[in-house]
Amino acid sequence: KQQRSTQFDLKTYWTKLIAEIDQKLDQAIPIKYPEGIYEAMRYSVLAKGAKRAPPVMCVAACELFGGNRLAAFPTACALEMVHAASLIHDDLPCMDDDPSRRGQPSNHTIYGVDMAILAGDALFPLGYEHIVSHTPSDLVPETCILRVIAEIARAVGSTGMAAGQFLDIEGGPNSVEFVQEKKFGEMGECSAVCGGLLAGAEDDEVQKLRRYGRAVGVLYQVVDDLLDAKTQSEEDEEKTKKKGKSYVAVYGVDKAMEVAEELRTKAKKELDGFEKYGEKVVPLYSFVDYAADRGFSVGDSS
Amino acid sequence: QEEEENPKPAFDFKSYMLQKGNSVNQALDAAVSIRDPKKIHEAMRYSLLAGGKRVRPVLCIAACELVGGNESIAMPAACAVEMIHTMSLIHDDLPCMDNDDLRRGKPTNHKVFGEDVAVLAGDALLAFAFEHMAVSTVGIPPSRLVKAVGELAKSIGTEGLVAGQVVDINSEGLKDVGLAILGGGSDDEVEKLRTFARCIGLLFQVVDDILDVTKSSQELGKTAGKDLVADKVTYPKLLGLEKSRELADKLNREAQQQLSGFDQEKASPLIALANYIAYRQN
Repeated sequence: KQQRSTQFDLKTYWTKLIAEIDQKLDQAIPIKYPEGIYEAMRYSVLAKGAKRAPPVMCVAACELFGGNRLAAFPTACALEMVHAASLIHDDLPCMDDDPSRRGQPSNHTIYGVDMAILAGDALFPLGYEHIVSHTPSDLVPETCILRVIAEIARAVGSTGMAAGQFLDIEGGPNSVEFVQEKKFGEMGECSAVCGGLLAGAEDDEVQKLRRYGRAVGVLYQVVDDLLDAKTQSEEDEEKTKKKGKSYVAVYGVDKAMEVAEELRTKAKKELDGFEKYGEKVVPLYSFVDYAADRGFSVGDSS
Repeated sequence: QEEEENPKPAFDFKSYMLQKGNSVNQALDAAVSIRDPKKIHEAMRYSLLAGGKRVRPVLCIAACELVGGNESIAMPAACAVEMIHTMSLIHDDLPCMDNDDLRRGKPTNHKVFGEDVAVLAGDALLAFAFEHMAVSTVGIPPSRLVKAVGELAKSIGTEGLVAGQVVDINSEGLKDVGLAILGGGSDDEVEKLRTFARCIGLLFQVVDDILDVTKSSQELGKTAGKDLVADKVTYPKLLGLEKSRELADKLNREAQQQLSGFDQEKASPLIALANYIAYRQN
């Protein structure tokens, strides 16, 4: 498995998909009256250097079961829209108060807090609308579309990402696992599950995707925190501790590395049953290794 | 049923609203239960169950019934409409937006739960509206439900509610009747209802603006005169009070014309609703 996933050229696969998804997102949010809101929405959704991990995961999961990627693209775009919406709201002064995102000024820094709230409020429903109006009806039955919409809504809702953000702010002891699972695991889980649903995967297969996607999402974040810890000065470290919960800040580097290895193993174990789908499972393995090892850089604007 | 047994010349709008409003309240109460994390769900329920006239959800149910559907088909969508409306109120009241301390006679959501929770509670209501509608609507073909979900999304996105807030005309547009699709309305019927809704949405706003300059905070249950202080563009400011009242009459007539081709008995709630919006005192 390890060997196959290294042979597979993830970077090319991913880069190609990013270009396609970027183009579709660009078309999905044209500037209309009132222009200000569309500009604010586009600023965050089309930010340079976005890795488009949720859309790519969604497309790969759809293709695993023989689904056509054209069936997955509208949902893939919607995932990026709702993801951007929740990041815009997370960055607000009354939340994480983050002046920057992906190395650029955060949405409210440029457009103002009021517009940033509205941009988020508009992006959530635009995502659902985009799925409804763009998913090819000959490829995806309506019952699947409804399940996908419910899945995305659940993931961003009061027991999903909103819950993670809430606990991140309000704190409480021993909440780090919960916060990580909700803030970062939900998006991975939802992306993989949506891909499977669009391709008509069986319920038990969807459950495996659920656990796989969640593990990959958390793994990616734990490794991010580890990489940050390596490059950060002590002063920055203080800031991180105050600002949010990470495994590294709470348990230290060694324990975080242990957790990362566990998550890598866990994610790959969920893929065991998918061997019968042949080569199509390879991208899903390679996401796990990428999340853990960061063997190359993808989506960077440089 | 009762109405068929003793047909009355005048439709009893008050008891209709009360009865439908009660059903909506019960459905909302059951839909959003307290779960972990408790504080978000409490914040969601605080604003969602704060009373309110339930005009939008009742309109949604009435429109569905007008074209042959029934209350139980429309109820999840009606709840979704109210959840989204509540979300927009919570966010609009935030200090960075309209900065309101009072809503429906109670402290606004962020005053009670804090701004961070208010933002999240709004986001959560928006998400749950779609989840609830997609999961809990029964008795209609999935294709029709997908279409209705698309309508709902359109009515709040940049073409609907959010755009209204951005250009600061606040024309929330009671577009929710697009959900008459649920009841199996034809394209032509849905179009008529859409025009009807656009008229009464605008009517609602014109009357709101008029009330803002003619009533006290106590009578309104929210801060009066706010539009003047906030230097908002309002109809009385643009047209004067007299012309605003004329516009309101015209919109009401235009709205009711749309209903002329329908079964008049089933249309009576919508006719009464238009009159109610036109002549309400708070």
